[in-house]
Amino acid sequence: MLFSKKNISLIAIILIVSACSSMTVSEESISNNTVKTVQVNTDSDTKKLTYENKAVFANATVYFDFDKSNLSIKSIQTLKSVVKALNSNSSMKITLSGHADERGTREYNLALGQRRAESVRDYLVLNGISKSRISVKSFGEEKPIAFGQNDISYAKNRRVEIN
Amino acid sequence: MKNFFVVLIFSNLVFSELILEITQGIDDPYKIAIVNFYGDKDISSSINTIVKNNLQRTGEFKVIDENKLLTIPNSEEEIIFNDFKILDIDFLVIGKIIEEDSNVSIRYQLFDINKGVKVRNTTVYGIPNKNRQLAHYVSDGIYEEVTGIKGIASTKILYVTQDKNYKLIISDADGKNEQTLLESNQPIISPSWSPDSKKVAYVSFEMGIAKVFIQEIATGERELAIKNSSQISSPSWSPDGKYLSLTLYQDGNAEIYIFNIKNKNLTRLTNHYSIDTESSWHPKGSKILFTSGRSGSPQLYEIDLRKSNSKPKRITFEGNYNAKASYLPKGDGIIFVHRNNIKFQIALQYFEENFVRPLTQSDMDESPSISPNGNVIVYAVKEGEMGLLSGVTLSGAKFRLPAKSGSVREPAWSGYFR
Repeated sequence: MLFSKKNISLIAIILIVSACSSMTVSEESISNNTVKTVQVNTDSDTKKLTYENKAVFANATVYFDFDKSNLSIKSIQTLKSVVKALNSNSSMKITLSGHADERGTREYNLALGQRRAESVRDYLVLNGISKSRISVKSFGEEKPIAFGQNDISYAKNRRVEIN
Repeated sequence: MKNFFVVLIFSNLVFSELILEITQGIDDPYKIAIVNFYGDKDISSSINTIVKNNLQRTGEFKVIDENKLLTIPNSEEEIIFNDFKILDIDFLVIGKIIEEDSNVSIRYQLFDINKGVKVRNTTVYGIPNKNRQLAHYVSDGIYEEVTGIKGIASTKILYVTQDKNYKLIISDADGKNEQTLLESNQPIISPSWSPDSKKVAYVSFEMGIAKVFIQEIATGERELAIKNSSQISSPSWSPDGKYLSLTLYQDGNAEIYIFNIKNKNLTRLTNHYSIDTESSWHPKGSKILFTSGRSGSPQLYEIDLRKSNSKPKRITFEGNYNAKASYLPKGDGIIFVHRNNIKFQIALQYFEENFVRPLTQSDMDESPSISPNGNVIVYAVKEGEMGLLSGVTLSGAKFRLPAKSGSVREPAWSGYFR
């Protein structure tokens, strides 16, 4: 027989107040907390691209300034070649994954990564790519590609990957 | 009823990843002598060690070792108060391990040396294999009697580790007795306790994008909070346990919603083209605190839930990055991540003061979470590539919970179990 729920959460019931007015006489029972483990594993899904297009997209990473999501001139040059590749293969769909460097809070960085990916999508859509061909997601600061607490690593991690 | 259990002795066998280091106490702590409890020597010494660490970690106690004492009383009758007075000791604890049939309980007594009186006499009934919990209850009873504030040794911490895999782990407040809630090869962030501390909500990337899950701790039963195709994050439980505030990305931008867990209704709370996220509830459920980029840099805002169409009110003006805030348990201030120049620190701001009090000194502190008694803040620190947990009390004491292996982050303090 096990403790009933009521008994498990029994909280410091004061039984007797003794002659000495400042003293607490009490009884309590510790709570029984059990924990069950769940395990999940995900295969990383890789989009099937043709070899040729893969080569274009392998270089297609767009970089950003700290706490910024606007596109630089260099980024726009990169995106022009992405537009070209998408136009020459009209069945191709792409995923834009936004990332942030490790500075700042994780949730804010998740939102920032999303904004970066969306600003890339907005450019592509403005340049005639259908919105339905583009999916957008963010990993925030959770998947860095460069390590170390320095400006070069930070700059490499503030990115949108196109694949 | 207690007699039906089989005793499983004891918890020296419990392995822990986190190792507690107390780095700084406060001036003029209470001096307390804790005599090894009468009874089984192994049980007594492990319980004594846990109680001692718990009390010292608060920064408010200095525990005097048994070998420094002039006399070692095993019962009330044997106490010579002067022997403790001479050593400047304020309090004395004696106790007894009671092994009744198949169960371990503790009866302990606390004496105020200066007044020469017994101030507490408590029996804690244990259950098999939970002797650490017994020690935590003893610690909390002593702490509460001396300070008048509820102790937090018997509470829990939830956090994420990254080694080969990501793990969501629950441990005692001292970092020990850890148990894995979830193991995944994809990131886990933003764990949040339900107010009754029986469930957790968190963000898992196991489906390829951020999604919020709700999981029952005891059974491992879990469900996707919202089953749609968009990214969802930053869950925070309402104090009544009925709602989660969340960040949804379905509007093409991070916006905060309130999600009714039972009927799955969503109510939109923010509407702005900049980032709105990291929501957290006022302890009375009347307001929601969140981070917004609407001023050009991340700042903290409050929205009043009692008024319809209430406008977010900005509450931080000092520093160029203020984020991931939560209210103090009394609702009289907030803790948050604050950056003035280049350092990200944990800071405190009382509403009546209107200025920022930095609480930590390293460069990359994040994810502050406050204990339910409002006295201790646990947060994540980065040292090189490694993450570890540190703590700071509002009285100024400091401690660290570095991991033996792997990187630790995203701590969240439970409510009370005791």
